[in-house]
Amino acid sequence: MTTSLLIRGLSTLCAMILTVLIVVVLWGVLSRQILGGQPAWTEELARVLLVWLALLGGVLAYADERHLGVDVLVDRLHPDARRIVSIASHLCVLAFSLAVFAYGGTALFHLRWDSGQTLPATGVRKAWFYLVLPIVGVLLSHLALCRALAGFRSWDESGRGR
Amino acid sequence: MTEGLGVLCVTFVVLLLLGVPVAFVIGLSTLLGALALGRDGAMESMASDVANGLDSFPLLAIPFFILAGELMAAGGLARRLIDLATAIVGKARGGLALVNILTCMLFGAVSGSATAAISSIGTSLIPEMEREGYPRGFSVALTTTAATTGLLIPPSNVMIVYALVASNVSVGALFLAGILPGILIGMALMGVALLKSWHQGCSTLTSGLVRRGSPALWPSFLRALPSLVMLILVLVVILGGIMTPTESSVLAVVWALLLVMVFYRAIHWQQLYGILVSSARTTGIVLLLVGLSAAMSRLLTIEQVPQAAAQALLSVSHNTIVVLLLINVALLLVGIFMDMTPAVLVFTPIFLPAAIGIGVDPVHFGVVMVANLCIGLCTPPVGTCLFLGCSVGNIAIAKVVPATIPFFAAMVLALLLITYIPALSLWLPQLLEAMPR
Repeated sequence: MTTSLLIRGLSTLCAMILTVLIVVVLWGVLSRQILGGQPAWTEELARVLLVWLALLGGVLAYADERHLGVDVLVDRLHPDARRIVSIASHLCVLAFSLAVFAYGGTALFHLRWDSGQTLPATGVRKAWFYLVLPIVGVLLSHLALCRALAGFRSWDESGRGR
Repeated sequence: MTEGLGVLCVTFVVLLLLGVPVAFVIGLSTLLGALALGRDGAMESMASDVANGLDSFPLLAIPFFILAGELMAAGGLARRLIDLATAIVGKARGGLALVNILTCMLFGAVSGSATAAISSIGTSLIPEMEREGYPRGFSVALTTTAATTGLLIPPSNVMIVYALVASNVSVGALFLAGILPGILIGMALMGVALLKSWHQGCSTLTSGLVRRGSPALWPSFLRALPSLVMLILVLVVILGGIMTPTESSVLAVVWALLLVMVFYRAIHWQQLYGILVSSARTTGIVLLLVGLSAAMSRLLTIEQVPQAAAQALLSVSHNTIVVLLLINVALLLVGIFMDMTPAVLVFTPIFLPAAIGIGVDPVHFGVVMVANLCIGLCTPPVGTCLFLGCSVGNIAIAKVVPATIPFFAAMVLALLLITYIPALSLWLPQLLEAMPR
């Protein structure tokens, strides 16, 4: 329930970022072609938005199970073994997103915040650019945990049914 | 050092086979490799590698070309291209097979996606071919292989990814370099299709598409023209130095929006939201791979793996023909197990130094890699295109594989020509001065 709400919110956010990206890049092109000069903030903002779109879109793809993977071997396993492997796979994603995105990303955000570094054209703190990493870390680990738990639950039920 | 890299390789293979999504396979094996190598702050530095690897203006072209392609596909591109191809080659014997190949090439180029080509073209042409007496396995094999040519014909996102990892390679030059090889593979597939359909006596002069009132050449050309103009527009503004590839991709989005919403009135505002979300999701699939591979290739570079790989390859031989053959065989094997984008991301940094070492142009090498990995998209066990083709055609993979063999032979032949005749790739970009001679 909350997860589907989360995915809907994420979808809207991604669609908005993509729309703003188009407008920003178009604005940059038009101002260069017509006014003869491109405002430096357009490229800077576009790059920040791209990183946000890429990572949030990556979460969306995980939520919809669209990421590329090799399933030939897994498909040939016994259903019980397949369930274990699938739970293990979600736990791998959980471990990775906790370690790199949540922990590493948070540490990086603090590091950049303390350094007080700003983006040259907009003067915005560089730390905001890295904020997407911990956000993605939380979203991904939440989704992966839900998947793994759902796997355990269905395993439990099928076990009782026998 | 070797233990650390051993950890990386073993984790990579094991997790890949366990069905963990490839992006996370790359991420986790890099992380464990870095930890095994005892690198300080491995998690922070990986997080920063991912973000910085994605922080690139050229990469912005990818979401835009994806969006433009999805818009065009939703706007009835398939129908118009099928009409055009029918008018051009539909009347020949085996014409329907040729129509299918030509449509897949054009659709793959405009939409930039082989899978979109298979699902849109395959859905309408595979049943049509069945009615004309073509075996279904043949039709599926033909659609799947033909759809991959769109990855060579510009605009192509995998070329942008290659340009990013190869560094100092112009996207404009790569786009031009892919045109002739893409057409060559398409023609090789057409040759096989013609031989086969003559041999089996399928589809005589009057294929169903033609019988139902053959589309006249000029009207169908004019109807398809606005969609094809997008390709030309993109190439012209890049080559004319008017716009960067990224800016040209946003132009493609504007053109596609105008076409499908104003000119053809094929989609509504409500549908637009769904297309935006689905493009963002596809972008996420590609770019998460790019970001995590950036972390991996940084680790490999620090550990000097590319140099070691180049040395190992060059210790076997310094002969251009032999080295390129070895790389091609290795890539064909890689392609069997990996999808194109991750394969380009992981193996370009490893093979490119060796290729440059024997004097191969990086632009030419990019075309060779993509042409090679196109074959892998149609081979089991990991063949995204083959699997999609089988599900669109509703047929078992085992029944399609034998039918793909002649098409593979044609693709391998074309790959050899592309590998050993650099002019096939380099002539066009040099002619149009997109790269130095």
